[in-house]
Amino acid sequence: MSAAGGRTPRWLLEAQPGLCPCGCVGRRSRRGFLDATLAGAAKVRGEALLGEEAAERPGRLQRLDARAKLVAALALIVAVALARSVAVLATVAVLAPALAVATRIEVARFLRRVWLVVPLFTGLIALPATLSVITPGDMVLPLGHPFGSELGVTAQGLQGAALIVLRVGASVSIATLLALSTPWPALLAALRSLRAPRAFVLVAGMAYRYLFVLLGVVEDMYVARKARGAGTANRGIAGARAGRASVSAAAATLFARAYGMADDVHLAMVARGWRGDARTLRPGALPRIDLLYAVAAILFALLAIGADHALA
Amino acid sequence: MGAAMVPVWAVASQRVKRVVTSRYVPLVALGAAYSFLVMMLNVPIPDGTSAHAVGAVLIAVLLGPWAAVIAVSVALLIQALFFGDGGVLAYGANAFNMAFVMPMVGYGVYRALARGASLTARRRAIAAGVGGFVGINVAAFVAAVEFGLQPELFTAADGTPLYAPFHLAQSIPAMMLAHLTVAGPVEFALTAGIVAYLQRANLAILRINHPGLPALGGGGLRLRPILIGLAGIVALTPLGLLATGTAFGEDGPDELNLHKYDLSSVPHGLQRYSDFWSHSVLGGYGFASGEHPVVGYLLSAVTGIGLIALVVSAILLAVRRLSAPGAGRVA
Repeated sequence: MSAAGGRTPRWLLEAQPGLCPCGCVGRRSRRGFLDATLAGAAKVRGEALLGEEAAERPGRLQRLDARAKLVAALALIVAVALARSVAVLATVAVLAPALAVATRIEVARFLRRVWLVVPLFTGLIALPATLSVITPGDMVLPLGHPFGSELGVTAQGLQGAALIVLRVGASVSIATLLALSTPWPALLAALRSLRAPRAFVLVAGMAYRYLFVLLGVVEDMYVARKARGAGTANRGIAGARAGRASVSAAAATLFARAYGMADDVHLAMVARGWRGDARTLRPGALPRIDLLYAVAAILFALLAIGADHALA
Repeated sequence: MGAAMVPVWAVASQRVKRVVTSRYVPLVALGAAYSFLVMMLNVPIPDGTSAHAVGAVLIAVLLGPWAAVIAVSVALLIQALFFGDGGVLAYGANAFNMAFVMPMVGYGVYRALARGASLTARRRAIAAGVGGFVGINVAAFVAAVEFGLQPELFTAADGTPLYAPFHLAQSIPAMMLAHLTVAGPVEFALTAGIVAYLQRANLAILRINHPGLPALGGGGLRLRPILIGLAGIVALTPLGLLATGTAFGEDGPDELNLHKYDLSSVPHGLQRYSDFWSHSVLGGYGFASGEHPVVGYLLSAVTGIGLIALVVSAILLAVRRLSAPGAGRVA
C-alpha cells in the first residue's frame, strides 16, 4: 500500500495545480496544427457517418431514386443561379429546411451545415460590398468620414450582399439535401446513368472509399506525434518551422503509403479479373412515381424562374 | 467554366491512361483521396495559427501534371457534392483554377527551374516550392479575374450586381494580397518540404515521375542569389515614381511634345488607338482610385511577373513536349 520506506512520498501528498484539459488553468495557447488537423479529420468522419445514417432513414427523399433526385437538384440549382430577386431566393432557402423536416433529416443539423458556413465565408466576402466605397447608392447607415470622403452602408450594397448570400445559401441547401438523403454509391451510379464518364465515376467511388483509409493513417500519425509531446514545440517562429517540417514529413509519408496502397489495390483488382475497363451495374428502370417527382421539381424550377422574371 | 474543363479532362485521362494503363484507376483514385487530405492538413504559420495548402503542384511533381488534373478534380467533386464546400455550379470554375491552371503553371515553373538538377539537389526541392507559389498565385489571379468580370457581365437593371459585387480593380488586389502573403508561402513550404523529405527518406517515390534522373551530381546553377536579386528588383519598382517627366509617349498622345517633332496635331491613327487600352485592369499601374500609389505599383509589378511567368512556363512546357524524344508521352 505504501512505498518501501513505509511512508508515502511527500510529492504525492502535496496539492498541485491540476492540468485541467479545458485549458482554464495556466497558459492558454491557440490550437496548434496537430489539434486543428485532428479536429478536421474528426469532422470529416462525423459528417460522413451522419450523412450515411441520414441517407438510410425511411424518409420521403431517401426513398426516391437517386437519378430523379440528381436531375431535380440540378434543375433547382440552375433556377437559383438564374434568379435575380431576393424573394424567390428566400423562398427556396426557406422551403429547403421544411423539406429536411419532411424527410426526417434533423433540421438543426441541416441549418448548422448550411447557415453557419455560408454567412461565415460568403457573407464575409460580401460584407465590404455593402459599403459605399464599393457599391455607391442611397446611404442607410452612415459611418462617418474616416478617409475624407463619406463612408456608409448603402441600400444597394445591402441588396447585392443579400442576393449573394441567399443565392449561395439556397444552392448549398439543395446540394446538402441531395447529399444527406442519398448514399454516395447511389449518387455515383446516378452520375453514371447521366452519362458521366465511366472511369471518372469509378475513380470518384474508389477515392471516396480510400479517403477514409488514408484519413485513418493521418489520425494515427498525428495522435502518435501528439503522444510524443509535440505540444511544447508549437510556439514562435522556430516552432512553426519545426511544425511545417513535421507536416511535410507526414504528408510525404502519407503519399508513400497511398502509392503503395494503389499498387496493392491494383494487384488485388487484377487478381479478380480487372483488365483496365470499368464496368458498372446497369441501373433498373426509373419508377413512374420517381419520374413524376423529377418532373415536378423541374416544373417548380421553371415556375421559380417565371416568378423571378415577373418580380425583377 | 465547366465547359472549358471537359476537353481538359478528356486529354488528361487519355494521357494518364497511355502511361499507366490498368493501374490508372487505383492510382488516380488514391491520388484523389490524397489530394483531398492534403487540402485538409493544417500547416503552421508563424503567428501561431495554421492555414491550408492546395497541393496541386505537389501532385503534379509526384505523379505528373495530367494525373494531378484528374486527382484534384475528383477531390474537389467530393468536397462540393459530399461536404457542401464550394457551390455545385462553381465546380467548373474551381476545377479550372485549382485542378488545371495551378498544376500546369506550377509544374511548368518547376520543370524550368529544376532543369538539369539531380534528383537529390536542393534546387529541385526549391523549384517545387516556387512552382507551388507561382501556381497558386496565378490560379488566384485567374479566380480574381473571374470574380471581377462578374459585375461587368451580370447586373440587374438598376445596377445591382447579381453575383460577385467586386470589380477587377478590387478583386485582384484583394485576392493577390492574401495569396502572395499567406497562401503562397504556405504552398511553397509544404511543396518544397515534402520534396525535400522524400529526397532524404524515400527517393523511390520521387523516381515515379522522374525516371532515369541521376540521384547525385548536377546542381550547378545557384538559384537563391537569382531569386533574391529578382525580388529586390520587384521591390524597387516604385522608384520609378520618383522620376520626373514621362517616358516618351507612354501615357497618351496629349503628353507628346508636338513642336519637337514638327507636328501641328496628334496623328489621326495614334489618336484613334490611344483609347483602345484605357480599360486595363490596373490602369496606370495602380488602383483605379489612385490611392496608395506605392502599393498599387508593387502589386502591378508582381501581377505582371505572375502573368509573364504564366506565358513563359506555357511556352517552356510546349517546347519541351515538342522537342522531347517520343513527343506526346507524359514525362
